[in-house]
Amino acid sequence: MSQDQCPSTKGKKELPVAARDLPELAGRPGTKVWRSVEEVAGTAHFRDFVEREFPAGASRLLESSRRDFVKLMGASLALAGAATVPGCRRPEQKILTYSRNVPEDIIPGKPLFYATTFPLPGGGAEGLVVETHEGRPTKVEGNPLHPVSQGKSGKYAQSAILGLYAPDRLKFPVYHPPSRGKLTATWDDFKLWAGEHFEQFDATRGAGLAIIVDKKSSPTFEAMKSRVMARWPRAEWLAYSPADAQNAGEGSRIAFGSAMRDQLRLDKARVIVSVGRDFLGTGEADTLAHARQFAISRNVDSNASTMSRLYVAEAQVSETGGQADHRFALSPTQQAAFLVEVARGVMDAVGGNASLAAALANQPTLTNRGFTDSHVDAVVEDLLAHNGQAVLLAGPSMGPQLHAVAHAVNRAIGAVDAGVVAYQPMSDDEASASSIGIRTLARLAESGAIQTAVCLNANPLYDAPADAGFASVWEDHTTVTLTVAPTETAAGSTWSLNGQHFLESWGDARATDGTISPVQPMIAPLYAPAMSDIEFLAMLSGEESPDGYDLVRETWSDLLGVGNLEKAWKRALHDGVVAGTARAPAKPAVNASRIAEAVAARRLAPAGDADALELEFCMGNLHDGRYANLGWLQELPEFASRVAWDNPALVSPKTARALGLMIGDDPNELYTRDQMPKARMARLVVPQTQAQPDRVMDIAVWVCPGIPDNTVILHLGYGREVCGRVGTGVGFNTYAVRTADTLDSARGCRLERIRGRYTIASTQNHWSLEGRTAIVRDVDLPAWDKYGKKVKPVPDKIYGEPVAELNFAERLGELAHTPKNISAYDNPYNAGPGDPDPDQRVTDHLGRQRPPEFAVGPQWGMTIDLNTCTGCGVCTVACQSENNIPIVGKNEVAKGREMTWMRVDRYFTGDTDTPESVLLQPVGCVQCENAPCEVVCPVNATIHTEDGLNAMAYNRCIGTRYCANNCPYKVRRFNFFDYQQAKFNGDYLGESIMPLGGPKNVNLIPPRLREQLDEISKMRMNPDVTVRGRGVMEKCTYCVQRINRARNEMKLQDIVPDEMPDGFFEVACQQACPSNAIAFGNILDENAEMTKHREGGRSYAVLGYLNTRPRTTHLVKVRNPNPKLRDPIADPFHHGGSHKSEGDHGGAHGSDHGDGSHAAVFDPGKKVEDAGYAMSLRVLGAAAGVNV
Amino acid sequence: MTTIHPDKATAEQLAGMSKGTGRDVEGVGDGSLVEDPSRRPPLVLNNRSFGEITDIVCGYAENKPGLWFWPLLLFAASLAGLLPVMIGYLVVTGVGVWGLNNQVGWAWDITNFVFWIGIGHAGTLISAILCIFKQNWRTAVNRSAEAMTIFAVMCAGIFPGVHVGRIWFAWFLFPIPNSNAIWPNFKSPLLWDVFAVSTYATVSLLFWYMGMIPDLATLRDRADRRMRQFPDGPRLIPFLPLRVDRVRATVYGFFSLGWRFSSRHWHRYEAAYLILAGISTPLVLSVHSIVSFDFATSILPGWHTTIFPPYFVAGAIFGGFAMVLLLLIPVRELFPNFKDILTLRHLENMAKIILATGMMVGFAYAMEFFIAWYGGNEYELYAFLGNRVNPQTAPYWWAYWTMIFCNVLTPQVFWIRKIRQNPLAIWIVAAFVTVGMWFERFVIIVTSLHRAFLPGEWQMFWPTPVDILTFVGSIGFFLFMFLLFLKFLPVFAMAELKAVMPQASPHAHDDDGDHEDSHGHEIQAASQGMGYAAEGGADQDSGQSSGQDSSNTDGEAR
Repeated sequence: MSQDQCPSTKGKKELPVAARDLPELAGRPGTKVWRSVEEVAGTAHFRDFVEREFPAGASRLLESSRRDFVKLMGASLALAGAATVPGCRRPEQKILTYSRNVPEDIIPGKPLFYATTFPLPGGGAEGLVVETHEGRPTKVEGNPLHPVSQGKSGKYAQSAILGLYAPDRLKFPVYHPPSRGKLTATWDDFKLWAGEHFEQFDATRGAGLAIIVDKKSSPTFEAMKSRVMARWPRAEWLAYSPADAQNAGEGSRIAFGSAMRDQLRLDKARVIVSVGRDFLGTGEADTLAHARQFAISRNVDSNASTMSRLYVAEAQVSETGGQADHRFALSPTQQAAFLVEVARGVMDAVGGNASLAAALANQPTLTNRGFTDSHVDAVVEDLLAHNGQAVLLAGPSMGPQLHAVAHAVNRAIGAVDAGVVAYQPMSDDEASASSIGIRTLARLAESGAIQTAVCLNANPLYDAPADAGFASVWEDHTTVTLTVAPTETAAGSTWSLNGQHFLESWGDARATDGTISPVQPMIAPLYAPAMSDIEFLAMLSGEESPDGYDLVRETWSDLLGVGNLEKAWKRALHDGVVAGTARAPAKPAVNASRIAEAVAARRLAPAGDADALELEFCMGNLHDGRYANLGWLQELPEFASRVAWDNPALVSPKTARALGLMIGDDPNELYTRDQMPKARMARLVVPQTQAQPDRVMDIAVWVCPGIPDNTVILHLGYGREVCGRVGTGVGFNTYAVRTADTLDSARGCRLERIRGRYTIASTQNHWSLEGRTAIVRDVDLPAWDKYGKKVKPVPDKIYGEPVAELNFAERLGELAHTPKNISAYDNPYNAGPGDPDPDQRVTDHLGRQRPPEFAVGPQWGMTIDLNTCTGCGVCTVACQSENNIPIVGKNEVAKGREMTWMRVDRYFTGDTDTPESVLLQPVGCVQCENAPCEVVCPVNATIHTEDGLNAMAYNRCIGTRYCANNCPYKVRRFNFFDYQQAKFNGDYLGESIMPLGGPKNVNLIPPRLREQLDEISKMRMNPDVTVRGRGVMEKCTYCVQRINRARNEMKLQDIVPDEMPDGFFEVACQQACPSNAIAFGNILDENAEMTKHREGGRSYAVLGYLNTRPRTTHLVKVRNPNPKLRDPIADPFHHGGSHKSEGDHGGAHGSDHGDGSHAAVFDPGKKVEDAGYAMSLRVLGAAAGVNV
Repeated sequence: MTTIHPDKATAEQLAGMSKGTGRDVEGVGDGSLVEDPSRRPPLVLNNRSFGEITDIVCGYAENKPGLWFWPLLLFAASLAGLLPVMIGYLVVTGVGVWGLNNQVGWAWDITNFVFWIGIGHAGTLISAILCIFKQNWRTAVNRSAEAMTIFAVMCAGIFPGVHVGRIWFAWFLFPIPNSNAIWPNFKSPLLWDVFAVSTYATVSLLFWYMGMIPDLATLRDRADRRMRQFPDGPRLIPFLPLRVDRVRATVYGFFSLGWRFSSRHWHRYEAAYLILAGISTPLVLSVHSIVSFDFATSILPGWHTTIFPPYFVAGAIFGGFAMVLLLLIPVRELFPNFKDILTLRHLENMAKIILATGMMVGFAYAMEFFIAWYGGNEYELYAFLGNRVNPQTAPYWWAYWTMIFCNVLTPQVFWIRKIRQNPLAIWIVAAFVTVGMWFERFVIIVTSLHRAFLPGEWQMFWPTPVDILTFVGSIGFFLFMFLLFLKFLPVFAMAELKAVMPQASPHAHDDDGDHEDSHGHEIQAASQGMGYAAEGGADQDSGQSSGQDSSNTDGEAR
């Protein structure tokens, strides 16, 4: 009996076939061909069926009335409209796909790439290519065609996705009239209000109106500015950025007469002296270019003779300081003295302007200057010896006159002539001094000269200098703020308006070299209606309903000419840059006498001591605080202290001890006393000069080696009050002690211990390598020159090395000390499977004949160059973005449960109080061929793939954590809680949405309800990567989703897998790395860049002696010390005894920490490189002192 | 205390009111060993008869317990109640409620697992290995030690079960045929653990239960007899016509599997017991060896040590005997007549085993350092010296030195005979050893993990309240189960005990305390199947008499 199961037709439709309806088959004569029982039976139903060409009901639509047809069409159109959920939003204007090969129509499941631009805060731009899945941007990459970023991207750009989908964004205008409280409003309300309100300034020609805008470089923005200023010429216009390089701009005015920004070509430099300038770190517009150029200058594989030497004098331990061959830990005043002495030395030698030389000579010599004459002499000598290949850089905390001096020095040593330094003009907005401007504005407002203030994307209520008095001014006036994310300023404004994120708006940006690039929307505004800054300015200038698309095209038609526009526009949208818009750098003349006047006008201040500490403000991972709501950046550890989610005041161990701010005597105790490390609290007092009261704040104090004694490092950007669920209340607001006097540094400060402890979340709780130098190997250039290309034959094929020889890097580590691998059982892996014969056939466990393991097909491998890694952490953020890695919040990080698959380990060498250098080591899963994690997993959840990946089957994992225990690299990450549902600040989502009295424990909330929590932030997820739940182990898999995508692509393009071209695709960390330290490819491809690295002399496997045979190898760091300052280590293979006390074996943990293991391990007796067995008496004899 | 006893004198004696029959043998009154090897003290003191033994052992199972019992049971139950609460919280919330992190993936969970598994060693060792070696003194302790084993293995089984991240998928560990042909990874020691522990638990349970069958039958018969004699005996629940004795007879009857004390039964029993002892013996060695493989087969310095299997077995015996003493010495005090059965000679023997195994683990500790030095591996040497020993570098130095003090130094006092013969001193040492053995596992697991190869990843572990309360809960569960065992089951193997008594010898009729050749009798008796049969008969006799006599004295009181 067949029965209709469809609920809509059940019981209504007549069903034909029922056994009882069948007539008798009997009685039909003759043979007949029949198609079915029914035909034979000749039922009425069958006759009907045969007659009809189409099944019953097929013609019903045709038979239906026109009215019905229209009804149907209407319903389906309505459905299509309803389907326009956020995921399907597409911008209305046409944008062109990045890749020409991709058809215009979107193939579901296949991402499209569009070019756009990230306007850097404070000026400059990064070209981007954004991966979008079905109209939903998920991942940001650098645009290879952009001249400055050249395919790379910074951590701010990488995190932009998180800012776009932040659920805390402003969603609609809010009107806050003083009498009625905050009211939800619409844009129409605002436009109505604005139309009336701003009309009054037409009469005054803008007097009484102030416009504060975020500093950025954008032609259209400038055009909008001129439109607004054309309407209200007397309006106050302030381009504002709290952390702009005011001193540098002022210094260039002194030196050249106009504001210039320097444009470096570090790849041409062989001696770089940076006094406090973190040119590789955050906060500079050209960081990506600097990192790339510096990496080229450090390339020892092709041109070791031209390797650059970097001297850094700085207070904070920055990325640049981490790269230094000689790092002088100097307080800001000591840095100034150092710069003056170096300049004096250079000027004396070169000659030149006598008044400048005299002004420099007249500067006092500090009593406590932290460096010696020999340091200065060596630097000066090196600068002079490399005329045209040397450069002196001054940092933001140097006074303007010292910047000018640096310009003069660069001119004198030929850096400008040789093009190592060039200059680009800055626009007025770029060059404006924000702190002065904001103070001027505040004075005007106090005097009643300003009635209305408009603020675009800036947040002065939070980050204005503490003495500018901005807060009181803002309260009493009519204020309009347009921002994307909630800010203190928006919350305090009369009108708070929701802006457009740069990924959902039209615009343009100008890079530091002048290149113009388009900003095109990847998605329609998530919280429409919203306005971008240019649209808003156009509206202010009087336009009725401005459209960003048209505004940009208008500006460009002015720039490029109307005739060229259409072609150039399409080309620019496709490429992401407007070709030919770069400016030629200028080489302006230096006005030495004006510099001399400036130098003579300011005398060097004395350095601080324990009673009068010096203070330096630095920019942390949150920039000036605008990125505080981006969890990836909050969880990215600060470079030197590895503290995440916080900005404690950093001091040296010695200073902390002297001030009683250390917990315990040994710095180690900071990390070992509690489950979550605790800091002491202190009161920071910053005195003011101009008869103002001292600025005071309470802050946690944390210890970091490498900071000069009696110096406090404060990071900006924390302590936001109105920020969002991630950033609100994280850290300390250090703007509270930052005044116009003390913008970059301060003197005479005090730190007084107060009651209280404070939890610090640190991702790395140890400073020292504990003598384990084989983990992060570094050598000096002479040793590399001497031994680098040599290999040393060894008696057996040990530990998976394809050849029976050790390269330079391997000779530095355990393998040089490891005796021959003798075992009762022949380890099949020891036959050298790194070089298996593809023609050979072996029988597998199922009896099939196949090539040996890892012999054919692409075999993935990676190299990480420790020589060029700056530790910027963009790999970590890129990995997080690509692989849907959750952030876990401060408390979980403090407990050691961060989830980042890619991390950068940081070690100090030398002793704790005066560390000599910083070693960095990025570590992701190294994809061991002989993986310790795989063998111990009881459920086969982690297994090896044929192409050499150590894969995870998340569905199979039950979470025993045995694999993590057995992983020597500790790269596996366990979901201790349901982190994907976490609120990122240690708590969980859910408390807010549950009715009162609901379960406190988020896990008791039904999953369906939990899913509703946050539809928007889920959109950032990469659909190609599983989102892991609680109780599952996860780890790096070399972006296996990209490998698989490439494999599909190869099949479509008919490429044999073995012949995949090098660079066919890149993994996320590699793609982002600004210094190209990460290379990835097929280890069987001899021509791949990665293979060349891997087979070069610097490649070694971390802990390779364990026979894990990692696919990721690291390249030895080569330093280039000045022999005048430090004897290079001549024989890198000779361990123990040969090093001076400041040698490169760690043991930084206090005097009695780590030295024991050092001596016990690397004693000369162990250096047995013959065929002796571990158990033989020869080793014992050698250990007893017999030289073999 | 209301009892059913043969006569007033025995009743008083059992109640601890009189000193007994005055048949003490001079010089061996407390059962402690003496200098003269020819004068070995008897295994049962006071020249007890078979009937008396039955009465003593069954008496506690049949009568109301002492006043101490209920508060102690309530205390243990309330601690045990923590266990499901903590596990429930863990399952609902996530493994993060413990103090673990990315570096220290195992801490108290696996420490407790290995600790309890180690405790579970002594029972089967006493039962099986001492049985095979014909160490007759084991009969006094084997039943309770086996019970302890079962309960300890139950506690141990909890921790690996709940420590996984996705408990609801823990069944992936078992090789269940499935259409995807996905099997567990037979290379993983964790999987071997599953098999080893479950096998051990099964065999230990069988061994314990099988050995108990004759004694359960005795309890059944006594209950049955009382049930018939006093049809109006006490009710289990007031107002319900369900009599205690009937319930007892039914339950004991069910579990005694129709045991009738026939010679044929004894014959089968003997053979099966020996077979199970033979099966258990390698298991005693294998289970902790395999648990140690979790560590030994890994590559982590401090874990990757070939000495682990014998070292773990020795440590388990060490810890297991300490726990036996920790439990039985108070039991001996709380049940006064047990002192006749569990004599100082037993305690002293076990103290000697503790001393011997303690020195074995001490040797193992020392060998770890030697191998680390001799192997020339910096990481391994640091794992021992830097991470454990040196207070300057090792945050967990106190754990290591607690372990050394408790496990190596404390047992050395057993070189002194006076201390070996002092129950209080033995108990204190046993307590130290139990603590020390927990710390041994903590040291191995946590100090090795928290500072492994890369110094950048070093991280501390501190327990959370959930860690601590889960462990306390498991202790409560263990105590609770043991108290129930004391109350409801025969604490001593009566049948076996009688076989090693002088009376079991066919020509032992002297009541004058001349036990000079008792050793010979023991061997003879134990090796004779008939010895048990005769004993069974005696058992029945005494049971009968006790039933009759008690009717006069106690019927009303009950």
